Amino acid sequence: MRPGPITRLPNFFSHYGRQLGTLAGLVGLILVLWGLTPHFLTVSNLLNIAEQATIIAIVAAGMTFVIITGGIDLAVGSVLAFSGVVMASALLRGLPLPLALLLGLGVGLTCGLINGLLITVGRLPPFIATLGMMSVARGAALMYTEGRPISGFTESFRSLATGEVLKIPTPVIIMIVVYLIAHFVLRRTKLGRYTYAIGGNEEAALLSGINVRLYKTMVYGIAGLLSGLAAILLTARLNSAQPIAGMSYELDAIAATVIGGTSLLGGEGTITGTLIGALIMAVLRNGLNLLSVSSFFQQVVIGSVIILAVLIDMGLKRRGK
Amino acid sequence: MKKALGLILLGILSMTFLSCQRGTEQSGGTPRIALVLKTANNPFFIDMQKGAEEAAKKLGVTLIVQAAEREVDVEKQMQIIENLIQTKVAALCVTPSGSREIVPAIEKANRAGIPVVIVDTRVDAKTMSESTGKVATFIGSDNYEGGRLAGEFIAKKLDGKGKVAVLEGIPGHETGDSRLKGFREALKAFPGIEIVATQTANWERDQGFNVFQNLLQSHPEIQAVFACSDLMALGAVEAIAAAKKTGQITVVGFDASDEARKAILGGTMDATVAQSPAMMGAMAIENAYHLIKGEQVQAEFVVPIKLITKENAGTSDK
Repeated sequence: MRPGPITRLPNFFSHYGRQLGTLAGLVGLILVLWGLTPHFLTVSNLLNIAEQATIIAIVAAGMTFVIITGGIDLAVGSVLAFSGVVMASALLRGLPLPLALLLGLGVGLTCGLINGLLITVGRLPPFIATLGMMSVARGAALMYTEGRPISGFTESFRSLATGEVLKIPTPVIIMIVVYLIAHFVLRRTKLGRYTYAIGGNEEAALLSGINVRLYKTMVYGIAGLLSGLAAILLTARLNSAQPIAGMSYELDAIAATVIGGTSLLGGEGTITGTLIGALIMAVLRNGLNLLSVSSFFQQVVIGSVIILAVLIDMGLKRRGK
Repeated sequence: MKKALGLILLGILSMTFLSCQRGTEQSGGTPRIALVLKTANNPFFIDMQKGAEEAAKKLGVTLIVQAAEREVDVEKQMQIIENLIQTKVAALCVTPSGSREIVPAIEKANRAGIPVVIVDTRVDAKTMSESTGKVATFIGSDNYEGGRLAGEFIAKKLDGKGKVAVLEGIPGHETGDSRLKGFREALKAFPGIEIVATQTANWERDQGFNVFQNLLQSHPEIQAVFACSDLMALGAVEAIAAAKKTGQITVVGFDASDEARKAILGGTMDATVAQSPAMMGAMAIENAYHLIKGEQVQAEFVVPIKLITKENAGTSDK
C-alpha cells in the first residue's frame, strides 16, 4: 500500500522536525535582535554574519561526519593552521595558485587520514588520536614558520575571501557549495549511509559487511580536507597565515554541530542542522557585539546557549521515546 | 515543535538579560567611538580602557569597548571590527592582535568611511603600504627605547659580564619585536654579556613560568632574564622561586603593572619599563574625536616611557 499523505506526515516531522526546531531557534534569535537594534536586520549585516560563519561552518561540516560516526576530531584547528602555513609559504615561493590550493587541501586531507588510520588500524580512541594530532600539527606549523605569520599574497588569492559573486561574498558561496555536497554525500551516497550505520552500531555495521575501517578513515579524511579548505579561506581573509590560527576552532565546530542536533553518541545528526548551528553562533556573536555587551558576558551567553540547546534537545528525545 | 518554542524562549530570555546590559546602543546624537582591545583581562589594557573612558566622559562621546576572548585571536578581532562597522561607529581605535592581520579590517573600516586610530601595536608597514587602507594616527610607546633601557639596566647590574635569557612575546608582534631589537642593540655595547637562550612565552604568565623553569634546567648559569612583558616576567619570578634561586637572578619586565611594581619593591623583580596605557587610551579617544570633527591630526604620537626600579616603583605615575 502506498503511504497516504497522512501517514507520511509524522515521518516528515521525525525527519525534519528537529531541524525545524533549530531553525525556529535561529529565527527567534533573529527576531529578538531585530527588536533590540536597528543595525541587525540589514542586508549588509546579514551578509557580514554569513561571511563570519563560513570558516567555523566549513570545519563543522567535517566535524558532523565525524560525530555521526560516534567519534570526535580535536585536531581540526591545528590542522587548519598547518595546512594554512604550508600553502602560504608555497604561494610566496611562487607555486601557481591552483597547485598551492591543492597543496593546502592535501596537507589537511593527509592529517585527517592519519587521524583515521590511528583510530581504525591503531585502534586508538578518537579523542586520544586527534588530541595527539592537535599537538603534532600545531607544533609542525610553529616549526615550519619559526612561529611567525606568513603574509603578503596576491590579489587573485585574496579574492577568494574578498570577492563577490552577485553581491554575495565568495566565502559564503563556497560554504553553500560545501554544504550542498556534504548534504548530498550524507543523504544519498553509500559513504553517508555507512557513516550513520557505523555511528548507530559499529558492531552491527561490521557484521553486515561494511568496511568500517575504510569508511571511518574516509570520514576523518573529510574532516581534515575541510580544515584545509577553511585554512585557505582564513588565510585569504586575513592576508596572513598564522601558525597559531584556528586555536579552539575545534570547540566552536563541536558546538555548532551539537546545537544543530547531532548527538555526540553518534548515529544521528544532519548537515543542515550543523549549518543552522554555525549560523546561530555567528548571529549570537554578532548580536552581542552590536549591542556592545561586555566581552566577558558574551562568553557566558554563548556557553549558556550551547548548554540549553542540548538540554532541550535531550529532553525532547527522552519524551519522544 | 516544542523544541522550537523552547529555543525561541531561550532566545528571548537571553536577550532580556542583554537588554539589562546594554545602554550604549542608542544614546541620542553623541558620536560613538569604539575601542577594540587585544584582550580585556590584561591589567595593561584595563588601564588603557580606564583612560579612554575618562577621556570619553570629558569630551561627551559614547565609548564602546570590545575585546576578543583571547589576545592572539586575530580572526575574532576582525569579526568584532566588522560588527562595529555595521553599527556605524564614527571612529575606531584598535590595539591590533596581529600587526599584519589587522590590515584587511582597516581596509573595511575605511571603505565604510570610518577613520582608524591604531594604539599600542604598530601596523606592519609593508602590508599597510600594499593595501588601500590608511591608519589615521598611531599612538604608542617607544618600545625600542624601552628594550634598550632594559638592556642597559641588566648590563650594568651584571657589571658587563654574564649570561642572559629572554622571554619573547608572540613572534611577529611589532611591540615584542621592537623591545627585543632595542634590548639586543643595548647589549652590543657589552661584549661580555651573552644571550644564552631566547624563547617565546606567548605573552602569558603560566607560559612564562613553564618556559623559564625549563630554561633554568638547561642553563642553570643564567644570571638575568628580560621578559618582554610583566606577565611573563612574573611567571619567571615564580619559576625562580620554585628553583629556590630568588635574589640570584635579575628579572626585568615590561609594562610596569601594579603587580610588577610590588614585586620590585618586594625584591623578587629588579626593574620594569613603564608605559602609560591610560594616557594612550585617553589620547586615542581625543584624536578619534578630532578626526570625527574633521580636524587634522599628527601621523604619530610617541608616549613617553621610563625605567622603573626599586627607587621609583612606589610612586604611581600612570
